[in-house]
Amino acid sequence: MFKFLFKKEQHVQKLIFEYLDTMKLCQDSFLKALQSCLFNGALCENFDFFIKQTHKFESKADDINDEINNLMYGKALIPDSRGDILGLLGAMDEIPDLFERILYMIQTQRLIVPEFLIEDIRDLIRISLECCDLLARQATALFEKTEGIRALLNTIDTNESHCDHIERRIITKIFESDMNPLQKLQIKDLIVEMGDISDEADRVSRRINIISMKRRV
Amino acid sequence: MFSLLGGVFLGWSLGANDASNVFGTAVSSKMVKFWTAAFLASAFVIIGAVLSGQAGIETLKGLTSIDLEQAVISSVAAAITVTIMTLLGLPVSTSQAVVGSILGIGIMNNQLNLAGLGKVVACWIGTPIGAAILSVLLYYVLGKLYNRAGLNLFESDALIRILMIIAGSYGAYVLGANNVANVTAVFVGAGLISVFYAALIGGLSIALGILTFSKPVMETVGKKLVRLDPFSALIVVLALALTVHFYTLVGVPVSTSQAVVGGVLGIGIIKGVNTVSRQTLRNILLAWFLTPVVACFFSITINFIIHLHYIPYH
Repeated sequence: MFKFLFKKEQHVQKLIFEYLDTMKLCQDSFLKALQSCLFNGALCENFDFFIKQTHKFESKADDINDEINNLMYGKALIPDSRGDILGLLGAMDEIPDLFERILYMIQTQRLIVPEFLIEDIRDLIRISLECCDLLARQATALFEKTEGIRALLNTIDTNESHCDHIERRIITKIFESDMNPLQKLQIKDLIVEMGDISDEADRVSRRINIISMKRRV
Repeated sequence: MFSLLGGVFLGWSLGANDASNVFGTAVSSKMVKFWTAAFLASAFVIIGAVLSGQAGIETLKGLTSIDLEQAVISSVAAAITVTIMTLLGLPVSTSQAVVGSILGIGIMNNQLNLAGLGKVVACWIGTPIGAAILSVLLYYVLGKLYNRAGLNLFESDALIRILMIIAGSYGAYVLGANNVANVTAVFVGAGLISVFYAALIGGLSIALGILTFSKPVMETVGKKLVRLDPFSALIVVLALALTVHFYTLVGVPVSTSQAVVGGVLGIGIIKGVNTVSRQTLRNILLAWFLTPVVACFFSITINFIIHLHYIPYH
């Protein structure tokens, strides 16, 4: 009814959904990059292309984030909501950064994942990215409707525990193997970074839940 | 008409100080721009004063018989009291200062309407208590509706902003309706102006105070309430407006500052936290007793000084 009074807020809402879409594109490029090379056992031609794509979407997400920040400082929304959204987007922005960092790690260190770890890593990535999808749904629920936020938090939390378990299993396998020590440390670092995806998704998910709870009287 | 200046000054200081009670939270938290709030508050203060200010004027006018000189004295005494209490950092009520100074004149005239005075004092006690009870009730009732609406972040944000503007405007309306009597009632009692002109001039002088000097007060005083979440802040403003509106209908000028404290206390009761410090409560209690007493003292003293005559020594 009073929508014409809140043009800035509507623009912020539109940008947030644009941000979530860009994050999804970044996530897809990240997965394609891993599928094209890591799981094939060697660096391939498309890998560089997908890294560029991931970087492009990560930069675009940053740009949208900056635009939202500018609108917020231009007094859109009430201060309480302003702080919540800025904090949320700041935390969310860690996830595309992680995607990019993992790919650069593989590219610059020329990492090749040993055959015996591939299935576990595939699982770790699949569940981590599922966490990201659930997180996007949870954020949409916060900005579109308020139902289901708590249930999504619980699912993300369960997935995150599962990822931690897989991460520990992979690291144990690495140090039980006869790989050379340098390679062991490199792959371990890569696995820790991959494990951070679900950790970050879980952290952001908790933040969304708090923001939603704060709005209940 | 020159005699009205004391009242206009009192109205100006009332507008500068008390507008923060109704729009302070919204302005200091940048929910509403200062000038939007100032124009809305000024307009609604004038409307409130003209449409609903008569009852309060009649009550104060009826406390004692007063002539023009005494009307000026009581205005000046109230203005001095408000200034001194503000300098001491005590939360002063213009309503109490005005009633105290009229009381002083009544004592000098040896003519007091004790029944009227009793009604006024009872309303003073009822203001913070009423606002506290109302804020508890409003919090539960509106809170339930708000939760049931299932609004998303943007919708709830927009709703709170709109309601804050509506509640602030309503608060300004009752501020004008209730407090205009403090500004010009004594001049009606002295027969200088009619009730309608008293309401109009009083409303205009309060609006002048809002437009010219309320910005710093809104930005600093309002911050005391910003620690509350936006919904609670809205409830406090609504509780204030409804409480003061009730006393406007009764015809007794009360303090909006005390109503705000009552509202904040009510929120503290619900949330089980100390929203108002003991120091603030002690200051309010102290000011509650001191303001009418000091105003009464000044009123008697000024009256006494003015009537001193020089008798040459032979």
